[in-house]
Amino acid sequence: MHLAKNKQMAITFGLFPALLIYMIFAIYPILQSFYYSFMEWDGFSDMTYVGLSNFKELFQDPLFWNSAKNNIYVVLASVLGQVPIALFIALLLNRKLKGSKIFRTIGFMPVVLSTVVISLTWSLIYNSQDGMINELLRAVGLGALAQNWLGDTQWSMIAVCVTVVWQFVGLYLIIFLAALQNVPEEVLEAARMDGANEWTTTWKITIPMIWETILVAIILCIAGSLRTFDLIYVMTHGGPSHSTDVMALYMFNETFSNLQYGYGSAVSVVIFFFSLLLIFIVTKLLGRKMI
Amino acid sequence: MDTTVGTNSQTYSKSKVKKKRNKKNTIIYIILTLFAIVNAYPIVWMVINSFKSEQEFAVNQFGFPSEFVLENYVSAWNTANFGVLFKNSIFICLAATLITVFIGALASYFLARFSFKMNKIVYTLFLFGMLIPIHATLVPMFILIRNLGLLNSSVTLLFPYIAFNLPITIFILTSFMKAFPKDIEESAIMDGCGIFRIFWSIILPMSRPALATVVILNFINNWNEFSFALVLINDPNLQTLPLGLASFAGQFTTDYGAQMAGLTMTLVPILAFYLLLEKEIVKGMTAGAVKG
Repeated sequence: MHLAKNKQMAITFGLFPALLIYMIFAIYPILQSFYYSFMEWDGFSDMTYVGLSNFKELFQDPLFWNSAKNNIYVVLASVLGQVPIALFIALLLNRKLKGSKIFRTIGFMPVVLSTVVISLTWSLIYNSQDGMINELLRAVGLGALAQNWLGDTQWSMIAVCVTVVWQFVGLYLIIFLAALQNVPEEVLEAARMDGANEWTTTWKITIPMIWETILVAIILCIAGSLRTFDLIYVMTHGGPSHSTDVMALYMFNETFSNLQYGYGSAVSVVIFFFSLLLIFIVTKLLGRKMI
Repeated sequence: MDTTVGTNSQTYSKSKVKKKRNKKNTIIYIILTLFAIVNAYPIVWMVINSFKSEQEFAVNQFGFPSEFVLENYVSAWNTANFGVLFKNSIFICLAATLITVFIGALASYFLARFSFKMNKIVYTLFLFGMLIPIHATLVPMFILIRNLGLLNSSVTLLFPYIAFNLPITIFILTSFMKAFPKDIEESAIMDGCGIFRIFWSIILPMSRPALATVVILNFINNWNEFSFALVLINDPNLQTLPLGLASFAGQFTTDYGAQMAGLTMTLVPILAFYLLLEKEIVKGMTAGAVKG
């Protein structure tokens, strides 16, 4: 009895610090944003309850839909860019050629770098005057193709997506490599004995065997690209003329530039549900196809 | 006669296979090299050009600098206040990482080694944090921190950094600690060890590999974090490196040299850290991914 009581106290005491900070600074803000989303509030004076009008306004704002559309572009670029490239390179690296470790090290490198460093570096690369891409084009005599990559509404989203893909290919590369190393050699050997060529073993055996991991990678990819904020904030700030605006940036500007805290919270809530929903749908869709 | 022909054709086909394989390997190496160049060159380009004078950058972007100019570094250090930024980043990173790992390890110990009524619920609650999109909390976080009177102080960033790194920390540590055999504690209790004593002198030392992983993961996350810093810190003297870099680049848009010097200075510590501890870092940064 005495011991049990002691144990109970120790457990409470041990969990308390982590739980306290986590509840106050992670869970509570989420709950608060639900509450604020029903209010009209400039952040300083009194709040007024406005029901669902923030959401109504939000869904009628073409700028919000524009940012949602751009967000979908980022998701598509990530899923269709990062995952296939990473898988392809991982399959090549899995052949255990000499020096594959170096390629792995270089491949993962961008993942550890700060998004701000990456954004600023790529901004310099895309620079309309002295940027690396334009200089390269001029050097090979294609100077006519030089663009103001980030300043032209036609190119800005593409330029941003290229950087997004570049930043995270390495992460999925490593995830796929780990999965590939767990594919038992005997199975592949048996297939080869039966006369299956490399193409067939890859498509019919290796990929189905790591399908679970590919699924996880796609979900991570979606969740990650819905969170895109830092990169675009630093590279273009959503411009030119909202061509690279994404939901998180829209929320940021509405809240902190236009001082609409209630409205901004409503956007937060929408982002929150939108990402949960998308992850749920993809899990269902791909999960079913697998079986 | 027949046999000779057979061997001949066999050796012939063997060397043909070998040739084919060599050709294939060459193609693979070419693809991998291209991949490596695309991955590394943007960074290499930036670092090399940070040592060129403005005039040289305009005419010669792709070669090595004719002479290494440190002027960019001096101007970045002085105008962007890099000394202060470094100090802030190091303090925030170390403090947040230490606190997160310590209280996270303590919580993980109880979640992994004790059965009690709320165990499953508490654990799930922590894991749920990995699904929260951080940007959905920027607005309420700003209001919360403001209401607590904590905006613009040297410890402001510790709170969100600790809270949002706890889920992955607890996830990694709990699954590691769960794998220890049950009788460790039993014999310790026989020897008269208290619950916290067991944590401190048995469980923590045994968890060293997992602790290394979470320390690294926390450190990199905190070192690179931008959004919370952007929203919660205005005072230039309290900015962290990513925030300071971004505002510096925003102010001196055309001073490419100084920008590249600043970027290089931010980059080098993390890159050195990565090359030194690659295995652990890769393990940490992919740990969240393999949770499914």
